Amino acid sequence: MAADAMQTRRLRYRLLLLVLTALALLTLDFRDYGPLETIQSGLRDLLRPLINATDVALGPLGDLWTAAWDYNELTNENEQLRAELGRLRSEAIRVEADREAYRRLLEATEIDYLGNVERVTASVLRDLVGNFTDDVVTIDKGRRHGIRPGLAVVTSSGFVGRIDTVDTHRSTIELVSSPELVIGVRLVDNDDVGLGHGVAGDPTVFAVDAGLRGSETAEPVEPPAVGSAVVTAAESRYPAGIPIGWVTEVAETEGGLVEVVTVELATDARDLGFVTILLTPPTDGAEPDDGPRQAGTQSSRNAAGGGS
Amino acid sequence: MSWVKITAVVLAALLLQLTVFVDVRIAGVAPELMVLVAVLAGISAGAARGSVIAFFVGLAWDLYLATPLGLSAVSFALAAYAVGGFEKTLFSDSRIQVAALTGLATAGAVAAYAVLGELVGQRDLIDDDLVPVVAIASAVNAVLAPGVAPLMRWAVAPFRFAEVRGANG
Repeated sequence: MAADAMQTRRLRYRLLLLVLTALALLTLDFRDYGPLETIQSGLRDLLRPLINATDVALGPLGDLWTAAWDYNELTNENEQLRAELGRLRSEAIRVEADREAYRRLLEATEIDYLGNVERVTASVLRDLVGNFTDDVVTIDKGRRHGIRPGLAVVTSSGFVGRIDTVDTHRSTIELVSSPELVIGVRLVDNDDVGLGHGVAGDPTVFAVDAGLRGSETAEPVEPPAVGSAVVTAAESRYPAGIPIGWVTEVAETEGGLVEVVTVELATDARDLGFVTILLTPPTDGAEPDDGPRQAGTQSSRNAAGGGS
Repeated sequence: MSWVKITAVVLAALLLQLTVFVDVRIAGVAPELMVLVAVLAGISAGAARGSVIAFFVGLAWDLYLATPLGLSAVSFALAAYAVGGFEKTLFSDSRIQVAALTGLATAGAVAAYAVLGELVGQRDLIDDDLVPVVAIASAVNAVLAPGVAPLMRWAVAPFRFAEVRGANG
C-alpha cells in the first residue's frame, strides 16, 4: 500500500517535471532564445538528408495516393483549367490594360515596388506538415542563401508573408493569410495606415482592424473606396509599398468611424510555385526579427515583424 | 540499447510523417503518426517511462511545427501518462482494447494540443476543422495501433521489465 502511494507520488513528480520542462521550453521559444533556435535548426539540418532520401524512396506512394483518390477531382480540375485557359486568352488584352493601369496606380501613389531591393528567388517545396500549419510553407533556400528570419517574401502579385524559421538549405514562410501575422499597411485611397492580419478559415481575406486614423482619433475619416489598393506602410518593418490586396468592404461604426477594412489578398497563398525573398533588413535599421514580442504568444514574433 | 530502438522507431515515424503523410491525407486530414507512437509508448512502457518517451516524441515533432517548442511535447506526455495509468488498471492486452485506447488517447492528445496552444496565445487552433481532425486522426490511429503496438513493445521492452521490477520492489 505504502509502496503504491510512493510510486504514484513519484509518477506525479515525474509528470510535473515534464510539464515544467515544457513550460521552460515554451518560454525560451517565445523569447527567441538564440541557442535554442540554433539547436533546433541544427537538428533539422542533421535530419534533412534522411528526409530527402525518404522522400525520394517513398514519395511515389504519396503521388499514388493522390492519383487514386483525387482522380475525379483532377479530371474536373483539368476541365476547369481548359476553360480557364480559353477565358484567359480572350482576356489577355484586358489584362495588359489592367497592368498598365496598375503601373500608373503605383506611379501615382509613388510606390516603388521592389525597386532596387536585393532579392533571392526560391521555389515552394511543401506545405501542410501535420494538421495545424495551414499558413506555413517550406522553401528551398536557407541561411546559406542569405535568408534570415523576419524578411519579407513576395511574388509579382504582392506580399506573401515573412520568413519564420531558417535552416542551412531550407526556410519556412508564415503566410500573409495567417491570423498570427500582423502587418502595418497603408490604404492608398485615403492614405490611412493601420494594422492588418489574415482571417481564420479564409486564406483569401485580410482584415485591417487596428490603428486606423479614425478609430485612434475618434474623428470620422473618409473611408477608402472599394477596389482601392492596400500596400505595406512605410512604418512597417517591411519595405514600403508592397501590394497586399484591394479593399472589398468597409465596416463603419454609427458615428462614421472606419472599424474594419476587409481586403482581398493580391496573392493566392494556396497556390505558390516560386517566391521572392527581399534581403533588405527592416526599415528601422534593426536586424530582422529582433523586435519586441508580446508576452506569451508566438504571434507576437510576427507582430514585431509586422511593423507598427 | 533500448534508447537506440526507441530512437529508430520515433525517427521512422517522423520521416513518414514528414514525407508520405504530407500527401496521404484522408478528407484533408493527415494521420498523426507521432501521436500514435507517443500513445503506444504510454501503453507499452507504462505511465512513468511512457510519458518521458512521449515527451521526446513531441519534442521531435515540435521541430517541424509552427507552434512553439514544447507544445506537442507536453500534450503527448499528458496523453501517454493518462493512457499508461488506464492500461495498468483497466485493460488487458487485446488488440481491440489497444485500438480503442489508442483512438481515445489520440483524440485527447490532439485536443490537448489545440487547447494548450490557444492558452499560450496561438490563434486558429480551435476552429471548425478541429473536430474532423480529432475524429479522423483518432480513427486512423485506432486502426494502425494493433499493427504498430508490437514494434513499440519491442522498442521499449527493457523499460517495461525495469518498471515491473521497480513495482515489485
